Formats: sequence, C-alpha cells, structure tokens
Amino acid sequence: MEGLAKVLVIDDEPDLVEMLKMALERQFEVSVAYDGLEGVAKARAEKPDAIVLDIMMPEKDGFTVCRELKGDPQTASTPILILTVVADYFGRTKYAKQSGMEIEADDFISKPVDPNELVRRVAALLKK
Amino acid sequence: MWKKLKNAGLMPFQSLRSKLVFSFLLVVLAGGLASTIIGTQMMGDIIVAEAYKKVRHDMDSAWMVYREKLTRIQDVLHLTAKRDLIIRSLMGGQLEILMRELERVRIDYGLDMLTVVDRNGMVRVRTRTPHCTDDYRGNDELVRRALKKEVVSSTEIIPQEELAQEGGELVRQAYLEFVPTPKAKERPETMETSGMMLKAAVPILDVNNDVLGAMYGGTLLNRNYEIVDKIKHTVFKGERYKGKETGAATIFQWDLRISTNVKDKNGLRAIGTRVAKDVYDQVLENGRAWIDRAFVVNDWHIAAYDPIRNIKGEIIGILYVGTLEEPYTDLRNGVIYSFFGIAFLGLILVLVLAYFITRSITRPIAELARATEVIAGGDLSHEVTIQSRDEVGRLAESFNRMTRTLKATMEKFYEVNTKLQDLNRHYLEMLGFVTHELMQPMGVLKGYLIMLEDGSLGSLVTSKQKQAVSAMLRKVNALINMIQKYLQLGRIESGRMEVYKTWIPVFAEALHPILEDVKQQMDARKMEVIVENEEAFAKVEAMADPVLLRIVFSNLIGNALKYGREGAKIWCGFREEPDQILFYVKNEGRGIPADQLTKVFEKFSRLEGELERKQRGTGLGLFNAKVIVEKHGGKIWAESEEGRWTNFLFTIPQEEKKS
Repeated sequence: MEGLAKVLVIDDEPDLVEMLKMALERQFEVSVAYDGLEGVAKARAEKPDAIVLDIMMPEKDGFTVCRELKGDPQTASTPILILTVVADYFGRTKYAKQSGMEIEADDFISKPVDPNELVRRVAALLKK
Repeated sequence: MWKKLKNAGLMPFQSLRSKLVFSFLLVVLAGGLASTIIGTQMMGDIIVAEAYKKVRHDMDSAWMVYREKLTRIQDVLHLTAKRDLIIRSLMGGQLEILMRELERVRIDYGLDMLTVVDRNGMVRVRTRTPHCTDDYRGNDELVRRALKKEVVSSTEIIPQEELAQEGGELVRQAYLEFVPTPKAKERPETMETSGMMLKAAVPILDVNNDVLGAMYGGTLLNRNYEIVDKIKHTVFKGERYKGKETGAATIFQWDLRISTNVKDKNGLRAIGTRVAKDVYDQVLENGRAWIDRAFVVNDWHIAAYDPIRNIKGEIIGILYVGTLEEPYTDLRNGVIYSFFGIAFLGLILVLVLAYFITRSITRPIAELARATEVIAGGDLSHEVTIQSRDEVGRLAESFNRMTRTLKATMEKFYEVNTKLQDLNRHYLEMLGFVTHELMQPMGVLKGYLIMLEDGSLGSLVTSKQKQAVSAMLRKVNALINMIQKYLQLGRIESGRMEVYKTWIPVFAEALHPILEDVKQQMDARKMEVIVENEEAFAKVEAMADPVLLRIVFSNLIGNALKYGREGAKIWCGFREEPDQILFYVKNEGRGIPADQLTKVFEKFSRLEGELERKQRGTGLGLFNAKVIVEKHGGKIWAESEEGRWTNFLFTIPQEEKKS
C-alpha cells in the first residue's frame, strides 16, 4: 500500500462534507463528491478503498448510487458505509424488501455522525 | 310496591305492559270484590226486607179472610134474627117451627151451633141438641151484649161442658192430645178439651124494637181447615216451589195447633203440635206480633205470628202465616251469583281491554325504545315516528329534536375535528420538515465540536475554551436528542407510521446498532452496557419492524444512559415466554416512585423532583416506545426500586415462524 487509504465521501451538504473530510483526513486520503452522479463518476475514476455515502440526495439518491456501484464489477468490492438516520424512513435497509428499497451496503452509521466513530468504522471496513 | 311484589316472587313480569295489565287487574279485582260484597249485602238486606214486608202483608190478608168468616157468621145471624117467621114463632112460643127453621139455617150456612135465648138469657132453642134447653146463658159476654141490642162477634174459647151442651160431636172435634214438640214451652197439661170458636150473637127484636131474646151461633175452629185453606189459596194461590208449598197458615188455640195446613213428616196436618217457646213468650205472654225466620217442621220459613183475642181483649190464641224462605234465599243467591258473574265478566272484559289499551300505550314506548337503540347504535338520521299526542308523543318529538340537535352538533364537531386533523397534519409535517432541516446543521456542529474537544483540530489553549466547547457539545447532543424524538413523534402522530413486520435477528438489527451509536456517550459517563446471555440473544428472532424496534431500544437505552448513575451498569436482556418474547433494559440509579411508573409513558411526561431539572427530556421517548410496542401487539411497563434501580420491560408477540 502506498501511503494512506483513499476514502470517497458522497453527500450533498457542503458543510457536512467539509466536516467529514476534516475528520477522515486524520487517517485517510479523502476525496469528495456533492451529488450521486459525481459520486459514481469519481468512484469509477479514482477507485477509492472505501466510500461513505449519504442517502438523501438530489438527482441520484444513495440507494441508486449503491446499487450501481455494487453492480459494477470494477467497484463491486469497494466497501460502502451508509449514512442514515435511526428513525428515518430510509433506515429500512436490507429488510425493506416490501418497499423495494433493498440495499447491500457493508455498514451503516447513524446521523448525526460522531467523527471518531466514523473513522473507526471506516478503518474496520478497510481491514476486512 | 312493585319491588316488594317482585321480591316476594309475585311479580314475574318485567315489561311495562305486563305491569300495566297487572295494575288493571289489581284495581278491578279490588273494586269488583268490594262492590260485589257491598252489593250482595245490600241486595240480601233488600230481599229479606221485601220478604218480611210480604209476610206482613200476607198476615193482613189472612186476617181479612179470618174476619170475613167471622162477619159472615154474624151477618147470617143478623139477617135470620130479623126474619118475621123467626120473630113471630119466638113470640108465639112456636118453638118447633123455630127449631126447624133455625136448623135449616145452621146447616145451610155451615154453623156448628145455633141457639136462641129469651130476654132473660134462658135457652129456648138449641138446634143441635133440641132436648137440652132452659139453661142460663145470660152470663155469656156475647149473649149479654146481644140482649142489650148489640150485634157482636168474636173468637171465643168454649169449655168442654158447653161444647157438650151445644152438640155432642163438638167435644170430640175439639179434643186434641198434645203431640210432643221439641221447642215448645213446658206445660202441665197433655191435652186440650175445650174448643175455639168463631162466635156471633145478635138480638131478636119485636116490631116495637123491644128485645125478645138473642140468637148466638158459631163455627168450631178445631180440626176445621176452611179458614187456613182459604188463607192459603187466596194469599199463596196454592203456588208450589220446587215441589214444596210456598205458604201455610195456622190457627193456634193458645199454643196448640188446632187448624193448619202445615204438614208433619208424614204429610199429615200437624195439629196437636205446639208453638215454639220464644214465640209463646212474645205473642202469648207479651201480646206482641212476632216476625222472623223460623224452622217450621222441615224447612226454613219467614213466619208471622199475631195474637188472637176474644171479645174482652184477652189473648186466646195465635194466627200464623208463613212463607217458604227458599225462594228468597234462592233469589238472593241468584243475585250474588249474578254479581259475581258480572264481576267475572267485567274482569275478562277489563283484561281484554287492558290488553289492547296497554298495547296502544306501550307500543309507542316500545317503538321509542327501538328507535333509541337504533340511534344509540350511531344512526343519528333515524327519526321516531309516533303520532300520539300524549306524553309519549311529546317525548318522541323532543327525542327527535334532541337527535337533530345532536346530529347537527356531531356534524359541526366532525367538521371542526376534520379541520383540527388537517391543522394537526400540517403541524406534524412542519415539525418533520423543521426537525429534519435542523438535523443537518446539528450534525455538522456535533462533528466539529467532538473534534475540537478531542484536539483533532489542534489543542485548545485555555481551560475556558475547553469548558466552552464541552458545554456546546452537551447542548448540541441534547438538541439532537430532542429533534430525534420529535421526528419519531411526527411520524407516529401523523398516522404515517406503517409497521413493516418481518423476521429479524433482534440483537443484530435493533439493539446492536444502538449500542454502537451510544458507545461514546457511555464512555463519557463511565457507564457500561452488559448484554446478558449474549450468545442466545444473538439467535433470537422476532416478527417486528427493525427500524421501529431500533427506536424503542434507542429510547430505552437513551433513558438508561440519561438517568442512570454515573459509572453504573446497564443490563440488556431477553426472556422467551409462551407466545411472546420479553426484552428489558435495566439501569442502576435513583429509580422511579411507584405512583409514577405508569405516568412516565404519558406524552410529555416529566418526572417530578429537583434532580430532573438538570436532565430535562422531551417527554416523548417512552411515549413513542409505548406506541410502537403496542402497534406490534405487545406491552411495555416499568418496574423500579427507588434509590436502586429501574427496569423497563416490553413484550413482542411470538409468531409461528414459517419456514
């Protein structure tokens, strides 16, 4: 491994992205994308070691992004950590088949995010 | 009264109608019975009075027959005494002619004796015993008066020797031995030898109207039934009642029946028997008429007894008239029966009437009851249709009015309620929107504050800076917690909380993520979560909505974290029970007073007391948990020992897992 692991953060909220970036930069090399389209493009181009993905985004939401990346052999093995709200409707992850919102993320973390917990989880995903 | 009757088991009826009919019946029974008793009593009295009046009247008629007979004897004598032949033959001493002529008169007119005396009272001619003359008769009261030119007649007692003088057979005719009579007064005699006679005496006057002598004659009453039978035929007209003679008459010589048509047990005339003692005392001793019911020979009679007096006014016998009581008692019984019959018919009529009347009274009430049931069932548009103009009609009318008002109010209420619901929904949507929008900046704030506090962004220089940052972080955490609860509430209350139940591993899906989330806060308060029997817990599966169950655990663990003692332990666990799984979250801390164990689940509830001020929650976490658990068909409750621990428990029904 040359240098730090690469983490891609995809979220439409610039301030949050900035904060997450600042948190992750302590251990990883971080790149960011501000919507789903950009996120998919960057994931394919930069081939990050892990992706932190928000669900609620305009244009292309987190479900779609996740499905596309997992369906693409180039990116299928990249671990995805989903940002979610505990009480949120979109918290229905892989058990929400009834509503057609099946998602095969590797881990989930509740918003609002504790930066240290985020780092720990990403690190854990990379170890696998 | 009803209650009493009902308690006594006399009132098995329950419906209004039965009560009404029963009341009618009671009233009619009481009224009918009273009027029947009073009526029959009155009718009985009237009938008895009528019977007495009739007997009194019969007695008058009897006296008329009796006196007519006496008058007839007197008239015969009077006319005969005025005949020339009689006067001349007496004046001329032609006693043979006189005798012959008078004997003819005696036989023609059915007299038992006919005798002529001269002006000195000496007997000149005796028709029945011509040989027996020249005895003195001037001491006889009637003869004495006749010699004083009076025409007299009366009933007289004739002694045996006199009877013997007047005619041989008369002694035998008069002679009567007493027949033993149970109720009669004791008398020393055992027979009667004298006779009782209807007797008249008239003067015989010459042309100058001087007294030549006197003539007397009469009919012996003993064993002579002419008068009593005539009384019977004129007064009772020989009527019979049920084969019995309705009336009878008797002439008593003193207390002895000498002439009667009362029959004894053998069907013979009951002569020789005597009058009862009480009649004896009243009539013979005191000279008063007697009228009452009396048992004569075989039957009850209404009987009248009048004294018979001689010319001097002395009581010498009794005239009796009696009428059978049976026709009157039958009449009275008939009246009583018809009274009862009428009362019975009335009762039937009243029952029939009551049946229809109560139906017409209770039908509207029953209809009203039915209608109220319909309306009570929720159909407010139902109207009671009762046309009667009585209280029931009025009740129905006001009932309809009430229903209309109720309906109008309900509609208004519904309208207002709909508006309120709309408002509430708008409010909840707004709440959802605002809280969601708030969450983003809070997330950013929280992240930076954590990094500031732990020095990831460079160490803080002064202790005041550190103090400020941790205070901000605490407040941000509290705000986030609050926003989360309102988000849950908004979802639950807007009615959009759908429960997507599926088989989930409870630990992995619902509990573990929460424990992960709170790890940092746990460490900050030096608290520890112990999952009891973790290996088994990891295998527990339940039919539940993972997201909602996560909210429940989140709220319970959040509470335990908030109210638990610093440095203490939190226990999470489960227990499989028949048909359900029980989960619990237990913490060490001050606990909850027993009286507030259920209150904590109420919306916006706060625990009372000083210490809670510092730890102010939203009052929503447990309410949200309760709603979710109940939506799953389970129960949630709290147990506590004050000052030591609090345990929150909830159940999720266990379903049969389909493979």
